[in-house]
Amino acid sequence: MNPTPADRIGLTLRVLGWITLVLLPVWAWTVINSPIDSVQGIMQKILYVHPPLAYGAYLGFVATAIAGALFLFKGREVHDQLAIAGAEVGTLFCTLMLITGPIWARGAWGPGNWWVWDARLTLTLLLWFVYLAYSLLRSFTEGDERAARFASVYGILGVVLIPLNYWIIDLVGGAMHPDNLQFEENDSSLGEGMGLPFLVGNLTLFFVFAYLLVLRWRVGVLRVEADAPSNAGEGELQHG
Amino acid sequence: MKKVRLRGQAIEKRYGRVAALRRVDFEIEAGESLALLGANGAGKSSLLKILAGLSRPSGGTFEARPQDEPDAEPLKRDALRASIGYVGHATLVYGELSARENLIFAARLHNKRPTREALDQLLDDFALLDVAERRAGTFSRGMAQRLSIARSIVHEPSLLLLDEPFTGLDELSAERLSERLQAQRKSEGDEKRSLVVVTHDPRRAVELADRALILHRGEVRGTPSREASTSDTPYEADALRARLSELARESEAAARAGAA
Amino acid sequence: MNVALALLWKDLATEWRSRDRVVAMTVFSFLVVVVFQFAWPRMEPEEIARLAPGVLWVTYVFAAVIGLGRTFATELENDAMTALALAPGTRGWIFLGKAAATWVLISLVQAMTAVVFALFMRVDLLTGLAGTASIVGLANVAICSIGTLLSAMSVRSRFREVLLPVLLIPTLIPVLAAAVHSTTATMGGEALTLTLLQPLIVIGGIYSILCFLLFDFVLDE
Repeated sequence: MNPTPADRIGLTLRVLGWITLVLLPVWAWTVINSPIDSVQGIMQKILYVHPPLAYGAYLGFVATAIAGALFLFKGREVHDQLAIAGAEVGTLFCTLMLITGPIWARGAWGPGNWWVWDARLTLTLLLWFVYLAYSLLRSFTEGDERAARFASVYGILGVVLIPLNYWIIDLVGGAMHPDNLQFEENDSSLGEGMGLPFLVGNLTLFFVFAYLLVLRWRVGVLRVEADAPSNAGEGELQHG
Repeated sequence: MKKVRLRGQAIEKRYGRVAALRRVDFEIEAGESLALLGANGAGKSSLLKILAGLSRPSGGTFEARPQDEPDAEPLKRDALRASIGYVGHATLVYGELSARENLIFAARLHNKRPTREALDQLLDDFALLDVAERRAGTFSRGMAQRLSIARSIVHEPSLLLLDEPFTGLDELSAERLSERLQAQRKSEGDEKRSLVVVTHDPRRAVELADRALILHRGEVRGTPSREASTSDTPYEADALRARLSELARESEAAARAGAA
Repeated sequence: MNVALALLWKDLATEWRSRDRVVAMTVFSFLVVVVFQFAWPRMEPEEIARLAPGVLWVTYVFAAVIGLGRTFATELENDAMTALALAPGTRGWIFLGKAAATWVLISLVQAMTAVVFALFMRVDLLTGLAGTASIVGLANVAICSIGTLLSAMSVRSRFREVLLPVLLIPTLIPVLAAAVHSTTATMGGEALTLTLLQPLIVIGGIYSILCFLLFDFVLDE
């Protein structure tokens, strides 16, 4: 039997799965053994989790946009399923960033600072709204094929927003409220012994993201293959 | 008027679990008339939309070439639209504009600028000359319907596509519309446009087209034609209606068997 | 190109006869300006002057969302949207004509709003007027292009009134930020320089080109 797309994805999935499985305990070990920050205490360890989540949040949307563009030009459902996977996994990572962000902010800046308008958190918030808009567009558009097409268009527009927002905030953020929306020189000073867990964390979360993305993609493709119309098929496509 | 012939092979239109069209083959020469006949949900409108350049097939090939140049490159979708006139169940006109303005706008969308005389002639052909300056929003259904057809041919397309134009019309109006379309076709003489009409009414199919494509659940289940008409399988409304009933019974039986 | 002009003419002629978009946008803008007056405490003129560009742009953006929601309203009746989809050639020209018509209408409403704004906020808009007007005109290019594309997508949905703002506003944030920044400068008397215009030129350029190219996919059935 010829390998279906789902089979090929399945192979990639197993490879990613093993890599992730190895990295996770390594990462946990480096985080636990890293020094406890004198000022911020154990809360500081969120630093190892929060920034790497960005991989998932941003790459998720990039995957959605590229898959969407492929769908527009080739019309293959497999691509649309990747776009959906990118959006779902990306939303997950983006939401986690928005949850860990305040925890870190509270830890870093003291009580009362549950939210800070620093440039990165703001960008993440804006991205989160784009993800939300993407999902609503898919849900509210009538007609599956049209929804896929429109979502692909919005995906391309949305991905352009990411560097655009970055550039604008960089350009005019200094004069903006809230309070000096600027990018800081360094993310946070990384002291002794913090480099390794940070590096491992980046690597691990990248693979976690990749694994979840491909997993979700495979589920979507399997569903498409299962639903493929047989001879006793259904009626007309919806026209909204 | 550039004559085109259309050819579709193994046309598919599907997304997810819905397949509107499955392996549909057809050929339409310049000047031919074809009815797409079938029950609701058979895929007729989906096929017409592909012909009109309003959607792309998910599979198979659809090509349009100039009639007299079999070796020419197939026309691109956006170029094919220049040769298409489309009439749907909605009138596609703007209520705020007058009849004349609607025609001018429709022509300009196709990069044509008809002369005042040509427009007057067209309006007259459709008995709209004395209401030419009135806002289309004030028109009766019949007048709007006539304006809709006029709008579809103002840019002199070589292919006219009609999507269930009789929907919502009472018997008398439907008769009148059919007569008008038949008269329009006769008046075209040698320069006949190709005509594709989507309908679920076999009577209209026989009135307007010499050939029919019977669609059922996205597949072609018959290609009756006036030419191939025999006493056993006449190209007549009753015979076609019988065929459609047969197909309907077939799917009911299949549904019952599947549910069992 | 002719197609774009045809659409521009058609939209403006239709609007001239019914005036519904312009009236809706203008009334809404006036209301927003008035509501702002009741929403804050006493402020010194300098404080008001610092807030003014922001307030003006918030008003403009929300009025634009209202106006853009009705871009394809005339196409909805009688399924005239299909008529547009049937037009041959590059569909991007249809997009251009529509966006240009909206640009004209929005600019008109913004001019009228500016008068009311200057009056109620007691802010001097005459300083750097040419600069401010240029910035507004340029920002409108970005707003109208992305707005027209998204309007074409949302108009086919039952939830179009909710969907359009949700889709549109995230994309307008960079425009808003850049516009307020530049307008603050011109309203403060600074000369109009290329640096002030640059962000909006870039955004407007990116949005227009992308939307022009993507519009084809939005008009299909």
